[in-house]
Amino acid sequence: MLELDRIRVCHGAATALWDVSIRIGAGELVCVVGPNGAGKTTLIEAIAGLNSIASGRLSLEGRDLTRLAKSEFCDQGIAIVPEGRRLFTGLTVLENLELGSYRKTARANRRESLDRVFTLFPVLKARLTAPAGTLSGGQQQMLAIGRALMARPRYLLLDEPSLGLAPAVVMEMFSAIQGINRAGMAVLLVEQNVAMALDIAARAYVLEEGRIAAEGSPRELLAAPHIRRAYLGESE
Amino acid sequence: MRVPAAGWIAIAGLALAAVPFFHPPAFYESFLYLVFYWIVLATSWNILSGYSGYFSFGHGAFFGAGLYTTATLAGTLEVPFLWTLPAAAAVAALLGLGIGAVVFRAGRLRGELFALLTLAVTFVVANVVLNTRIDGGQGVNLGGVPLPKIMSSPSSTFYVLALVLAIATVWIAYAIYHAKLGTGLFAIHDDEDVAEVMGVPTFRYKLAALGVSCALAGVAGGIHAMFISYVTVGETFSIIVPLTVVLMSVLGGTRHWLGPAIGATVITGLLYAFTARDYAIAGRAAVGLILIVVILFMPGGILGRLASRPPRRSGPAATPSAVSAPPAPAASQGEKLLEVSALSKSFKGLQALDGVDLEVLRGEILGLVGPNGSGKSTLINLVSGHYRSDSGRMVFEGRDLTRLEAHRIARSGIARTYQIPRPFSHLSVLQNVVLPAMFGRERLGRAAAEREALTWLEFTGLAGKAEDLPDALNLHQRKFLELARALASRPKLLLLDEVLSGLTPSEMDGAIRTIRAIRDQGATIVFVEHVMRAVMELTDRIVVLNNGRVIAEGTPVEAMRRPEVVTAYLGKAHA
Repeated sequence: MLELDRIRVCHGAATALWDVSIRIGAGELVCVVGPNGAGKTTLIEAIAGLNSIASGRLSLEGRDLTRLAKSEFCDQGIAIVPEGRRLFTGLTVLENLELGSYRKTARANRRESLDRVFTLFPVLKARLTAPAGTLSGGQQQMLAIGRALMARPRYLLLDEPSLGLAPAVVMEMFSAIQGINRAGMAVLLVEQNVAMALDIAARAYVLEEGRIAAEGSPRELLAAPHIRRAYLGESE
Repeated sequence: MRVPAAGWIAIAGLALAAVPFFHPPAFYESFLYLVFYWIVLATSWNILSGYSGYFSFGHGAFFGAGLYTTATLAGTLEVPFLWTLPAAAAVAALLGLGIGAVVFRAGRLRGELFALLTLAVTFVVANVVLNTRIDGGQGVNLGGVPLPKIMSSPSSTFYVLALVLAIATVWIAYAIYHAKLGTGLFAIHDDEDVAEVMGVPTFRYKLAALGVSCALAGVAGGIHAMFISYVTVGETFSIIVPLTVVLMSVLGGTRHWLGPAIGATVITGLLYAFTARDYAIAGRAAVGLILIVVILFMPGGILGRLASRPPRRSGPAATPSAVSAPPAPAASQGEKLLEVSALSKSFKGLQALDGVDLEVLRGEILGLVGPNGSGKSTLINLVSGHYRSDSGRMVFEGRDLTRLEAHRIARSGIARTYQIPRPFSHLSVLQNVVLPAMFGRERLGRAAAEREALTWLEFTGLAGKAEDLPDALNLHQRKFLELARALASRPKLLLLDEVLSGLTPSEMDGAIRTIRAIRDQGATIVFVEHVMRAVMELTDRIVVLNNGRVIAEGTPVEAMRRPEVVTAYLGKAHA
């Protein structure tokens, strides 16, 4: 289990997250929804070790990760697919994937990881030597996910994987995420496409102004009228 | 009462001009001459390299061109010394403009390539001078050239000459910093392509900055030729000049007009204090160490903090009224505003656009949809002049845009947003919006542009962030900053590239109202978006692209029902 216990994160003088507690069980698909500026990206980056934690505790299966160095996180089995993909656009598809398995243990299993990624996203195999920047938006998102999988994580953090994708590709993306989760991977999903995210999630948290405003199963959350209104954009 | 900076420059100049009348030892005048000399070289370097970010290692070439102009004219051809200085300025400036005309045209020569190229120019110029009659390898002796008796002693004369030039240089740097040219150069520094698309004539601006920079270095070279009285190629074109001016500027702060002057004073002072005695070598090491420490702890330079703070607005802060100014008069609706015919563009074999025909009618919102990679963004990049098309034509209000430079397209009334926001990262949110107001269709003066910018920040809900740097904004706010920038130029045609992606449904409601309000004020909008709800609610007509071709066109409902659109774009679940 990946657990955040009253985590506080500050950006300079401003506090972005106020004592946020969430947990993700092994193999679980959890999503976080909330308005822009609520701190969703800050949260996901804190779990990946990209934001330093001012107070509180981040632990994985009992091990304390709160003060772990950034570069150690992928060895712990946590990998992030950042918002906007952040690929190495000048490098080829293969090079991007190989960089995902840069650490020793991941490198030892590179062959096998590559095969897994290609099974999941066959289109990447077809474009192996193309520079990442020349892929379409959907393919780039697949590559970003593939690169994260190369680190052989047990917890995959996805920050807005459907951003800027055409409707047909969004569907593909969600079913790929669902497939990854079904194969046993725990997934934390931050999404603006609330309807589709809740559709595949087992549990969800609502983050508002840096605080957890609600949590529960998608069914419970969707039963609350104000959540329906705020996140599904349904007028009364 | 605050004295404006220009006043302080004049006061400093007058106070320093009084120094020779107290008859200080010649040694001190010579030391101050060196301070002024370095102030001129560093400040002039900064006008191009600090402001626009085109880091040059070639300042020695321009300085040397001026130096050898004076050496040749005064030493060999016996032209009176003072008359050689305008010539020194002209030769250095022409050399700079010649290089700039080629290099800046080539476009992609930035960063380390530009730095290396300018360094190479220095060696070429040095070799030409060395192997021709200009120098011939023996150096030029100016010992016999009469120095005009401006002051009672030669050292006072050099002091005054350098002082006048230093004051003039600092004043020019100050004036450019506050002028439209400076605003444009700082925008070029952060993102040249965006600056051009917002109406900044980048080629002309860079050339102007380089010309001024070189002319000033040329005059400094001319005076210095007389000061050292015996000039050699080895000394003149060494790496010392370019390295020192870079160090001085970086130390003082390249984003402030006064930074290089401060850096020059500090370094010249340090070098004197540490190396004028017996332990010169240790002294140099100490100076180096001090520089390393300062640069480590003050990466923006001594004035870095000052410069990173956006300039305070003069006069009372404009109170933004509710948005009342329409971006453009709502002229006869329904006529063709933009007509695109047979437009094609390919990138390294990938056909991004393949013979696209479409028209945009005045007053409408035209939706542009299609799968990722279907050519929507490419179309926007072509219409805004970001890329040149391979073939085809674009006519806007009867004017052919096809071969027009991007800044002229912006001035004719087309503005765009970027899918991935590209704010000018060192300019405040307000200044980000002021820029297109100053350079876009209306080309407002600074005060009017600030009022305009505040209005649009208010409109997009960013007024509270006006003085922040774009770094402080989240993605949603950055997208709205893109929108505010595009609106501030008061375009007739607004190209919106996915401004709504990444918004929650309820935020989307607000954004949809915002875009309606923009259209109601008379703007015509081309709207690229994947969020189907927004497309259906906002657009009057849509054009569907796939693989760089138009596959459907019509009202949103009609076009979205077409089987080819469902297959290519929406996917099975929408069928």
